[in-house]
Amino acid sequence: MKKWQQRIRSLLMEQFSLPSDVVMEMPRITIIGHLHFYIENHQGLALYTNEELKLKVTNGFVSIKGHSFVLKMMLPKEIMLEGTISEVIFLNHEGEKED
Amino acid sequence: MKKQNPPSIRAYVTVRVKGVKPELFLQKCASKGIPIWDVKKIDAACCEATIMFKDLGALRKLRRNSLYKVSFAGQKGFPFFLSRLSRKKFLLAGIFTGFLFFFILSNLLWSVHITGVPKEIEEKIETELEAFGVYPGVWLFSLATPKDIQRQLLNEVPELLWTGVQLQGTSLQLEAVEKTIVEEIPPGEPRDLVATKKGVITNMYVSRGRAEVSVNDYVVPGKILVSGNLNTEEGEDNTETEEDPDKPIAAEAEVLANTWYEVHVTVPLQYQTEEITGNQKTKHYLRFGDVQLPFWGFKNPDYSHSQEERKEQPIHFLKWELPFSYVSSEISETEKTDEERSNEEAIKAGVEQAKIQLLNELGPEATVLSEKILHEHIEHGKVELVLYLSVEENIVKEELIIQGD
Repeated sequence: MKKWQQRIRSLLMEQFSLPSDVVMEMPRITIIGHLHFYIENHQGLALYTNEELKLKVTNGFVSIKGHSFVLKMMLPKEIMLEGTISEVIFLNHEGEKED
Repeated sequence: MKKQNPPSIRAYVTVRVKGVKPELFLQKCASKGIPIWDVKKIDAACCEATIMFKDLGALRKLRRNSLYKVSFAGQKGFPFFLSRLSRKKFLLAGIFTGFLFFFILSNLLWSVHITGVPKEIEEKIETELEAFGVYPGVWLFSLATPKDIQRQLLNEVPELLWTGVQLQGTSLQLEAVEKTIVEEIPPGEPRDLVATKKGVITNMYVSRGRAEVSVNDYVVPGKILVSGNLNTEEGEDNTETEEDPDKPIAAEAEVLANTWYEVHVTVPLQYQTEEITGNQKTKHYLRFGDVQLPFWGFKNPDYSHSQEERKEQPIHFLKWELPFSYVSSEISETEKTDEERSNEEAIKAGVEQAKIQLLNELGPEATVLSEKILHEHIEHGKVELVLYLSVEENIVKEELIIQGD
């Protein structure tokens, strides 16, 4: 059932060129250099320290590592992080990495 | 991406959350719709965050169902600043009295500068100004308007030809020009007297000079009435005398002549008169833009007809004019009466009006000898009159005798 839904969603995305974050319920992440990390549509905060921020998203977690982290803004589905970001890791996915 | 800067005009508090994984508590708050910013992790079990003051109640409600401990680390924002300030009563009182002081001082008249006149007239002006309440130390809004001061000064000090009064901040600049009484023709200069109007001479009183006309003569403007030249054509033989009688003298005379005027007047048959009964009430307002705030005299007098006189004075703070001003309005009760008059009465009134009008023009010395209605016409409730007035007046004008050397 879930697979079928997923297939429909990708089809919609490709055929009607709808934005993927809306259709697939995926987070939209904006990173400005290594200074700012901005995430929309996350599912909750899992861990936050000065060196790491782990957020729950659809199908897994996003983990941001770096140092001197400050959460500049926390809204129901959005978080803005400030600090020095060194890596962004998607966990429980196919193991994708993004810097 | 929208960045929310902490709005410093609103109250916000820094809270410290203690417990296991305090960020989870913050996340819970965030998902409840409480905006949180500047979250810092101090150590593993302590987190600092800033929230709006108004969200504090919602935060407390959430804390009650959890194991976290919330303490306050600081309060910031303008409302907190105010509440802290309100505790310093003396400072506030000091600021207030300071402003009051400035306010009072900038609404006082500090100095009166008089320029353009010699010392003695300056002193005269000063005493005159003091008499109608213009002196250093007086309230600016109890001051009469510059126009009124000008008019009063000109009335009271006859030596003044012109005054310019200007209120510059807290000082009154008064520029005056002295009247230098220049006679049109210096006395003693030889001159003739000529007629200014056409008319029939009724009376002549010649004190100096030689009369060129006599009573019942018809004269036209420019005609020499009394000559300063005593020499007649046949008097040439007198020239040799030592006293030099040949020299023209200043003629002096009063020549009354009968002159005529045609006057048009219109008199309405129905008219309204308005009289001030003497009952009056003064109201005081503070005006701010279009809004008038009465602060003295709230009741409206129940006059059926009234006349309102408004006086407005701007209020100053230091050199700036404040956006509000002091307005005093004087409401005087008036009585209106509608009156009607018959044609005869209207004509009578018209004749009187014409006489007064003419005498105003001619001066007090003229007298109306007779009047005659040339034409009368009643239309649209009005009587139109054309009058013929015969007036006795002085028609003399002095004219210098230009002497060739």
